[in-house]
Amino acid sequence: MITENTGQLSNPVILNKEEKEDSRFKEFSRRFLKNRPAFLALILLGIIVISTIMAPIIAPYDPYEGEITNRLQVIGAEGHILGTDEQGRDILSRILYGGQLSLLAGIVPVLIAGLIGGSLGVMAGYFGGMINTIIMRTLDIFYAFPAILLAIGISAALGQGIDNIIIAISIVFIPPVARIAESAVKEVREEEFIEAARTTGAKNFSIIRYHILMNIFSRVFVYCTTQISISLVLASGLSFLGLGVSPPTAEWGVMLNNLKEQIFINPLVTVIPGLFIFISALTINLVADGFRDALEIKQ
Amino acid sequence: MFQFILKRCLLMIPTLLGVTIIVFLMLQIVPGDPVNTILPADATEEDRLRVEQELGLDQPLVVQYLSWLGRTLEGDFGRSIIKQLEVGTLLFDAMKNTFILAIGAAFFSFILSLIIGVYSAYHPKSWIASFGNMIGLTGVSIPNFWAALLLIGLFSVILGWLPSTGMSGVGGGGGSFDMLKHMILPSIAAGMTTLGVMTRMIRSTVIDLLQKDFVITLKAKGASSYIILMHVLKNCTPTILTVAGLQFGYLIGGSVLVETVFSWPGVGQLIYQAISQRDFPIIQAGVLMVSIVFVLLNLMVDLLHAVIDPRVRHA
Repeated sequence: MITENTGQLSNPVILNKEEKEDSRFKEFSRRFLKNRPAFLALILLGIIVISTIMAPIIAPYDPYEGEITNRLQVIGAEGHILGTDEQGRDILSRILYGGQLSLLAGIVPVLIAGLIGGSLGVMAGYFGGMINTIIMRTLDIFYAFPAILLAIGISAALGQGIDNIIIAISIVFIPPVARIAESAVKEVREEEFIEAARTTGAKNFSIIRYHILMNIFSRVFVYCTTQISISLVLASGLSFLGLGVSPPTAEWGVMLNNLKEQIFINPLVTVIPGLFIFISALTINLVADGFRDALEIKQ
Repeated sequence: MFQFILKRCLLMIPTLLGVTIIVFLMLQIVPGDPVNTILPADATEEDRLRVEQELGLDQPLVVQYLSWLGRTLEGDFGRSIIKQLEVGTLLFDAMKNTFILAIGAAFFSFILSLIIGVYSAYHPKSWIASFGNMIGLTGVSIPNFWAALLLIGLFSVILGWLPSTGMSGVGGGGGSFDMLKHMILPSIAAGMTTLGVMTRMIRSTVIDLLQKDFVITLKAKGASSYIILMHVLKNCTPTILTVAGLQFGYLIGGSVLVETVFSWPGVGQLIYQAISQRDFPIIQAGVLMVSIVFVLLNLMVDLLHAVIDPRVRHA
């Protein structure tokens, strides 16, 4: 039977694939769990994510219904632990519902940019030459813009909406991801096992799939995790400028925008929505640092 | 050195051209026909064709781009749809104010990060080092518009120490002391991220340098800690300078949100108003202008780097 040659040399002494993957994962989790701040941050982040997903069940009030007589209640007010907003709506309920969109806007752009930027970077790094020049020089142009301004420009042009914010941030993140992937591929490409795979007749596609991707994945992955917090803050910033969801939909950035006018009446009213953006970004950063240390990647 | 400068300047041209292409295309993705916003609802098909011709919208995209580029190079950024003023004039005034705020934020963050970064590299177990760690992490996680709101809440509303909006007080005379007072809160809010990034970077650079052979040699020769510090600082200057230059660029580009919160009359505030009024010529020109400043700043950093570090020149 002829099977496609993947360039993987069989070696009976080496553990079989599952066992190897298993021990690698064990080693990674052992290192990650030893990193206290990262581990605690992961738990806290998990609590935030799960609570926002369960918002319809655990939210004490309807996020859109408010009593106008009960507006701008302070934190700890009776019946409203986190107070009420400018229309008398329960802030805790709005935080829980709003988190769904805010967290989504943090993660999705990184996923999109990771896929597109990663593929572009792998192509540029693996094939080199003209393809590399065209891809990388084109992406270089995007470095001439301050990230937030580019995102504002694109999403302002596309029009209001959380989907447009996601598109804008994805575009902003593609060039740096591509750059990381490209430089990682370039390093791996020179390794002897790639040459060995090629001499055994492996096709480009299999070399990329089995040898390149396996070896660059952790670097690109760690870089992408560090971008999630930036994406989250950026998305809430665009929302804050009024480019995201339109009221009355709850989203952390929009909540801050609506509450900012009330700051002279109740100076602490903006604390809560911002605190959730901040804590989410902080925990994501700590977890990303933990991943980086556990995978022993220097950046 | 001259060759290096020439090479860097020439390399900038394709970048700037690319920037203009992206900014031009940005306006092309705006949904809806721009002619519709100009024409009254009962306009005939002939009126529509005439307006299209006047605006050059009947030309191919490349021709439209080139004529737009030509006008832009002459300093003609078009007219604001809403304000009915020359975008160029509006932008130049705003740019000046954005620079003032960026300088304030840079002043606050550069000096503080240098002190905390160097000190915590020398004394990794001190409370300042832990504080520096916290700042490093907070700075990169905190949304600066939220920091701005917190600062206003605390220092303007509760304590009443500092003004919360604008560049000068009503009847404040607009003196430089008055402006400084107005600058404090926006500078801190805008400089927060830079403070975090630079503190982390300076600390790790200095820690690396302190383990270098030349420092050990200096110590062995009995050099005073002041002399060692001078050697270390001199060696980390190129790195710090590069990051500081980039960060200054981000301060100019990233101040949109902070300017909005403080009603600081800069480019960011202008762009924010333009977004809500869908005044696209201002958004387009604003993004273009800030990006050009950003590119020029990067060029200056590279050149300065070459002046300080001869290795860069010959690379």
